[in-house]
Amino acid sequence: MRPLRFVSILAVAWATLALAGCATMRVGSFVERRTNFTVYRTYAWASDAQLATGDPRLDNNEFFQARLQAAVEKGLSARGLEKAESGQPDFVLHYHASVTQRVDAGGVDDRYGYCEDCSPSVFDAGTPTLDVVDARTNKLAWRGWAESTFDGVVDNQQWLERRIDEAVGRILQTFPVRAGL
Amino acid sequence: MRRMGLPIILATTALVLTGCATMNVSSHMLSGADFTQYRTFEWGPADALPTGDPRLDRDPFFQDHVQGAVERGLAGRGFARVSAGTPDLLIHYHANISRRIDINRLDRDRGYCYDDACGVRTVEREAGTLVLDVIDARTNRLVWRGWAQHSVEDMLRDRDRMEQRINDAVTRMLEQLPTGPAFHQSSAFSAHIGAR
Repeated sequence: MRPLRFVSILAVAWATLALAGCATMRVGSFVERRTNFTVYRTYAWASDAQLATGDPRLDNNEFFQARLQAAVEKGLSARGLEKAESGQPDFVLHYHASVTQRVDAGGVDDRYGYCEDCSPSVFDAGTPTLDVVDARTNKLAWRGWAESTFDGVVDNQQWLERRIDEAVGRILQTFPVRAGL
Repeated sequence: MRRMGLPIILATTALVLTGCATMNVSSHMLSGADFTQYRTFEWGPADALPTGDPRLDRDPFFQDHVQGAVERGLAGRGFARVSAGTPDLLIHYHANISRRIDINRLDRDRGYCYDDACGVRTVEREAGTLVLDVIDARTNRLVWRGWAQHSVEDMLRDRDRMEQRINDAVTRMLEQLPTGPAFHQSSAFSAHIGAR
């Protein structure tokens, strides 16, 4: 193998790794103990979409809000849950998105030997969070979130929409409710 | 392949060096929005949100220049301002300044230092964002949002530069706004503008 070809293969491998690294999403959730999720059938949205996100491009951004709500509704409908048209729902949904700047010290790459020039970097971490509040007790029953880098994502509407769909899908995978089961 | 290497490295370096000086401009649009139905605009209710910086809050110079630039820009895209009656579009803007951290890699990239000697140098800069919202006055729904982001250190101390920066930001933002029907009947439209 000629050395030049080896270098290009290495470059491609490195680029793939770098891109894959950017695409990681950290998903988490917690469940309030003693919550009886089996009774959940209907839900409603709470009207608190006006919270600051930490990114002026996303504050009061109706496109972002509508896409996120649509993704959640689609995911819940696939689980047999219905949006309450009238009367009291079983649970109330709140959502919030926050964008904060993070510093990546590059320590992990260094440890695994992925890089020689392991310098720190900064990135925007975007975290959509979904809260389920029990309508009877008015207490938080479940919270799920997905954190990923938003660098370049907000500036591209299609990319942002795909990211919202992916984040909501991954968050709802951790949601312990499926009607009829 | 080998000959390609150097130009690519030079181009990348140029990009990195100018990166902090470029203006980031982008927009979101309501899918399926039909801008051929819009002809007129008016300013919506004033922005109550703080800018996040006392140097920009209630600054009449800044507000006047943003409004002037937006009004000129919208006229150029084929929308006329109405002073009476119901407008088709409501316009709203918001300015924000937030502190951000950059890690200075220039020393390393330029070869001023090697390996551990470079250390980590963080630079705090102030990033300004100007957001422009275009709302359908009938449905009261957002149909378009554009923004421009740039560091603001220099322009807060220099009014000429602020004016230039505002004009640049608004012009580049509105290039992404779909044009109104009057834009395409340009001769009739310029006559209309001229008559104002």
